[in-house]
Amino acid sequence: MKQVHNYLDLPLIEINKLLKEKKITPKDLVLESFERIEQNKDLNSFITLNKEEALKKALELESKEVDSLTFGIPIAIKDNIVTKGLRTTAASKMLENFEPIYDADVIKKINDANMIIIGKTNMDEFAMGSSTRTSYFGLARNPWNKNRVPGGSSGGSASAVSSRIIPLSLGSDTGGSIRQPSSFCGIVGLKPTYGRVSRYGLIAFASSLDQIGPMTRNVYENAVLLNVICGKSANDLTSVETKEDFTRLIGKDISGMKIAIPKFYVNDAIDQEIKEKLNAVVELLKSNNCTIDYVDIDYIDKTVPLYQIIAMGEASSNLARYDGIRYGYSYENPKNIEDLYLKSRKIGFGPEVKRRIMIGSYLLSGKNAKEYYDKALKIRDDLRKSFLNTFKNYDLIIGPTNTTTAYELDKGLDDAIKSFLDDILTIPVNMAGLPGMSVPMGFSSEKLPIGLQIIGKPFDEAKMYQLASFIEKELNLNLNPNGGVEND
Amino acid sequence: MEEKLSREEVLHVANLARIEIDEEEIAMYQVKLKQLLNEIEKVNEVKSYDEEMLICPTDNKCELREDIAGEMLAPKEALKNAPRSSGNYFQVPVVIGESGEAGA
Amino acid sequence: MTNYIPTIGIEVHVELKTNTKIFSNALNGYGQMANSLTNVIDLGYPGTLPTVNKEVITLAIKAAKVLNCKIRREIHFDRKNYFYPDNPKNFQITQSRTPIGYDGYVEIEVDGIKKKIEIEEMHIEEDTCKSTHRGDKTLLDFNRAGVPLIEIVTKPCISNSTEAKLYLEKLKELLFYSDISDCKMEEGSMRCDANVSIRKNQAAPFGTKCEIKNIGSISNVGLSIEKEIARQAKLLDNGEHFKEQTRRYDDKLGDTVLMRVKETGNDYRYFPEPDIPYLYITDSMIEEVEKTIGMLPDERRKTYIEKGVSEINANKLVQNKPLSDYFNTLLEEKTDFKIASNLLLGDISAYLNKNEKAITETTLTKERFLDLIAKIEDDTLTSRNLKDILETILEETTSIEDIIKEAKIANITDDNALRTIIQKIIATNEESVLDYKAGHDRAIKFFMGQVMKETKGSANPKLAMDILKEELK
Repeated sequence: MKQVHNYLDLPLIEINKLLKEKKITPKDLVLESFERIEQNKDLNSFITLNKEEALKKALELESKEVDSLTFGIPIAIKDNIVTKGLRTTAASKMLENFEPIYDADVIKKINDANMIIIGKTNMDEFAMGSSTRTSYFGLARNPWNKNRVPGGSSGGSASAVSSRIIPLSLGSDTGGSIRQPSSFCGIVGLKPTYGRVSRYGLIAFASSLDQIGPMTRNVYENAVLLNVICGKSANDLTSVETKEDFTRLIGKDISGMKIAIPKFYVNDAIDQEIKEKLNAVVELLKSNNCTIDYVDIDYIDKTVPLYQIIAMGEASSNLARYDGIRYGYSYENPKNIEDLYLKSRKIGFGPEVKRRIMIGSYLLSGKNAKEYYDKALKIRDDLRKSFLNTFKNYDLIIGPTNTTTAYELDKGLDDAIKSFLDDILTIPVNMAGLPGMSVPMGFSSEKLPIGLQIIGKPFDEAKMYQLASFIEKELNLNLNPNGGVEND
Repeated sequence: MEEKLSREEVLHVANLARIEIDEEEIAMYQVKLKQLLNEIEKVNEVKSYDEEMLICPTDNKCELREDIAGEMLAPKEALKNAPRSSGNYFQVPVVIGESGEAGA
Repeated sequence: MTNYIPTIGIEVHVELKTNTKIFSNALNGYGQMANSLTNVIDLGYPGTLPTVNKEVITLAIKAAKVLNCKIRREIHFDRKNYFYPDNPKNFQITQSRTPIGYDGYVEIEVDGIKKKIEIEEMHIEEDTCKSTHRGDKTLLDFNRAGVPLIEIVTKPCISNSTEAKLYLEKLKELLFYSDISDCKMEEGSMRCDANVSIRKNQAAPFGTKCEIKNIGSISNVGLSIEKEIARQAKLLDNGEHFKEQTRRYDDKLGDTVLMRVKETGNDYRYFPEPDIPYLYITDSMIEEVEKTIGMLPDERRKTYIEKGVSEINANKLVQNKPLSDYFNTLLEEKTDFKIASNLLLGDISAYLNKNEKAITETTLTKERFLDLIAKIEDDTLTSRNLKDILETILEETTSIEDIIKEAKIANITDDNALRTIIQKIIATNEESVLDYKAGHDRAIKFFMGQVMKETKGSANPKLAMDILKEELK
């Protein structure tokens, strides 16, 4: 029988120490990861595994010096981030056999940091959904309760970290796709400021909203991973140079912080239990000399229609490239070119993706573009300005990440036409391009994790980590669904 | 009476999106797209205070790339994922008509 | 047939002369192996994003300048969404709301009267890939995908095919001269569409518009407009109505042919391109570009004529940009420009054509050319003996003076000396004198040969001939 080490339950700092002292090798970590994948097969966290390459990389690293905290650490990548030579599907039949011929910018950075890619995680098809149930490769489950959704669209990345298959993963967030599953699975997830991380190689859903971000077991490791993946890229005109260490404020005194809670973030749609946890956090912060005010943010309640117009509009255009000509699913015996388009896209895309493309096409067609799209872009500008005005008086904004905890797997599927009620608290952050994160703030009576959302002004992630790390330390929650103890 | 889009409107959208839809879907979209439009009417309740549009939430200005060539794909690599090819070319069923733009 | 008033607007696409594509750093090239000039961006691979080529913006500003356009200072790109196999992302990145140039004009001259062809706007966009039809298959080559284009759209202010042709010739000349595009219609680096409608009189509303797409040459633009006007006039005369449509010009048929009727107008679902932030055109960018704009064709023609070059030669020079550029280097000098233009367009052009060389590939520096002109001006050299030494002049670096000496071309222009020699030759060749008087051409050639032999080729031929004829009378 194999000896159980559970290295992957240890904090990165301790794993790093063991690697440096040559008590373990990267290969031990990789093998343990794959053992855990096997043990957690029912979670369906992964679409594609990278075992052979991961082991090869682990062996290569044995001869190298352990030069950073991330050295030799296994990581899982959401399957909408392209990896050269490693199948990337966006959880769609459309890309079932798609082998990218280039690496995303973040993948280059992960490789340069000597991290080891274990596999590609399950997600909603083309990141369209918030429960990882629209995946062509089957639904994923929540490690805290396997009859519950892990959230989405980065559900596989969240469940893999939560179940301690790997310590770190990458997700992407267009309307809450990192924060919501992080909240549902009891992990820390950050959607960085728009432009903080290069999107080059992220399969686009909605270009002006998408952002790649770190999903980790704790706040510190989240900041460490952001240090690795951030920065300006010549490939992404919207990316921005970063010259800072995101861990630098972690553990620093928070007294005097001025924090705003939008009144909208305590509205009636939000579960009572969640509001109670939020109140507890409010009391905790007040008793540590923080100012907390409930504020109005103009247009924050109007973001769902904005999202429908902008996200679906951009998506309908971004997904037009899947036409069965250069890559991806292609209908076998088309009568003519039109038939090739119509059938490839009918069969290659799942129902939710098709609905969103239809909506986007409709909202951009004819006079709708002028009537709705332009208007949405104008209100979006106003929304961003009203957030920035709030930040003139406050350091951070907080609120719940979600209106509910993880729901049953058989709850009605989210329907793009219905109105994204799940995402009303996360969408505004993407609309305004702000950084937002979810950090666990407790459990429901059903022992399901509840996330606190922290929103910062553009490029103020370090301060968000400062507050998040304080809350994490004070609450000292046991966040391992298998019961292992980490924080003590 | 239930408000809905005409069948033709739905088919026009499906054609723009190049997605083949069946009768059931046509009926569904006739209702749903109209509902959605009503929902979205909410944006017209907002009296926006300025005309500026936020295309993308970035303060970046477009930086320009120097006109220097980089690496290119070998034709074989370019065709690697192509479902149909012929020699060094991508291949599709014959196209009738002309490009919507720039002339063929 | 009723006399209708035509209204014509022209859209021109030109490919810009850059190293790389507009949104990717793959090479912008023509005539290479299929799909050898692409990268993942050109193929529209999932996850790829555009970057913007600086040279494209520079050339677009330059084009705006030479077309007398105003330049928009804050521009962005838009997506034009439509499915077509030559369109890799199934959207084209173009500019619909903020074209970089607007309100410009190109001046043409019709029968001595100047007219401004107004330019509505000019914008930047990417080219599509090239498709070739083979039986029941279409083959796609993405080398052209992403090649930078500017589209130049006139107002509907062109009245007839002559104006249309003059406009296009002028436009081509301007863009070519400014090194913006090589404007080769046969290679597709310049492509024209014409919009034609007719109406009964100036007060009547515009008639139904038909678009003739992708016409292959300037002369065909003229022909297709004439054919289209006639076709529409015939229909109107017969009281027939027709719908807006897209047509093409069939060269073999010599007429326009229907491609498709425009049913409801295209639904391109334009929206602003979110992947490219606003681009700001600064004063300094424009100033930098202005410095690179040389003398434009009209100004060249005017200057040449002022310097004494004939109108024909001035036009010929302008039509040959390398020669015109070379000629321009002389403009500040004191020399005989008429001789200069004759030389460049005559013997030197013949040499360049024969040897497939550019003027800059010869050894004819400005200084040597000025010397050469001086030698002709003072009759040291004649065009006849120039021919003998031209190759040496253009291929070696020896001074003109030395080359002439070396070739022993000391032009005997002394009337008396030459006359003495000629009288001697006539006296010793009586038979040939009789021949001459009998009207035989060969006799005069014989005498000239003798003169050249006697003078070792240094006699001024014209002078020699004149004296010969006098002495033979």
